[in-house]
Amino acid sequence: MQLITLSILFIFLTIGMYAIMSFIYVRYYNALLVPILTTTTAIIIVLVLFNVPYETYMVGGKWIDALLGPAVVSLSIPLYKQRKLLKQYLYPILGGVLVGSMVGMISGVLFAKLIGFSKEIVLTILPKSITTPIAMEITSGLGGIPTLATVFVIIAGLTGVLFGQPLFKLFKIDTALGRGIGLGVASHAIGTSKAIEYGEQEASMSSVAMTLSALIGSFLGPLISWLFY
Amino acid sequence: MKIAKQLLQALLLYGIFLVGGWLQNTLHIPLSGSIIGLLLLWIALSLKIIHLKWVESGAYLFLSLLPLFFIPATVGVMNFGPFFMGKGIVLIPITIISTFMTLWIASFVSQSIAKHTVKRKEESECN
Repeated sequence: MQLITLSILFIFLTIGMYAIMSFIYVRYYNALLVPILTTTTAIIIVLVLFNVPYETYMVGGKWIDALLGPAVVSLSIPLYKQRKLLKQYLYPILGGVLVGSMVGMISGVLFAKLIGFSKEIVLTILPKSITTPIAMEITSGLGGIPTLATVFVIIAGLTGVLFGQPLFKLFKIDTALGRGIGLGVASHAIGTSKAIEYGEQEASMSSVAMTLSALIGSFLGPLISWLFY
Repeated sequence: MKIAKQLLQALLLYGIFLVGGWLQNTLHIPLSGSIIGLLLLWIALSLKIIHLKWVESGAYLFLSLLPLFFIPATVGVMNFGPFFMGKGIVLIPITIISTFMTLWIASFVSQSIAKHTVKRKEESECN
């Protein structure tokens, strides 16, 4: 009985907090207010204040977490609907995603290894530019720490949101294709939410790039891990 | 009525996810169950085994709430507070610099290939 009460409590806490934070984000549109960041922060503050361990929160949280799988399956729909655009820009998309994913994984692994972090940590930073559920899967497959991987994924997402605009200006990235692919490959879903601000073409390119890089990353991750260890 | 339809479609998507997970376990595929499900659905849509309208509104229900489903996992960050107090803090600038490089290279490469192919097409049209 107590378990059911706890489950319902934490499910409502998560959904309620998300609803409030989404409202705030829409109201005061600001890159720093992305609901995934603000909701997570708010829930952590509540849990720490009431001295609730993460494992207890997950009694309810796991029910929301269970929907992540079918949500990823659902990404198949925009990918299928955009197949014409995909076909038209097949080589630019594939080239950008492949080279970008390699640069992202190799540079992260290389820097972390040079500074002397353990293999477990180095392999945890590897999939940082890939959307959370798949980054966690890749990390756990390689022997990293999936929950820690989400921290790097969020930092990678926010980097794209905060530095995208100045970077595009600096390096003369002036096409919808370039901006969309860059944000999708480097900053996954959080980057895609930024791409929507630029326009529909950027948004579709970014979601295609995010999905493709998750797909390519699932193969590339083990390969790069094997190259370094 | 619309909600009933969406929930039914969501159930179908959940089924595809389960099939993906089952395939991953049985065939030991090095991809996550959800990604296998994504590919299965894409193939089924392309071969018209599944029609877009059977899953579309259910899929948009899931996608519209996508960030929400991340949250139980991201709250797990709370267990790593001490990690980022120590040496782990260095990993934050590493992540930012590496992501910056990724963003630059990915956008530069895709844009360059696109401009190159367009130029080539124009040249061959002139000839």
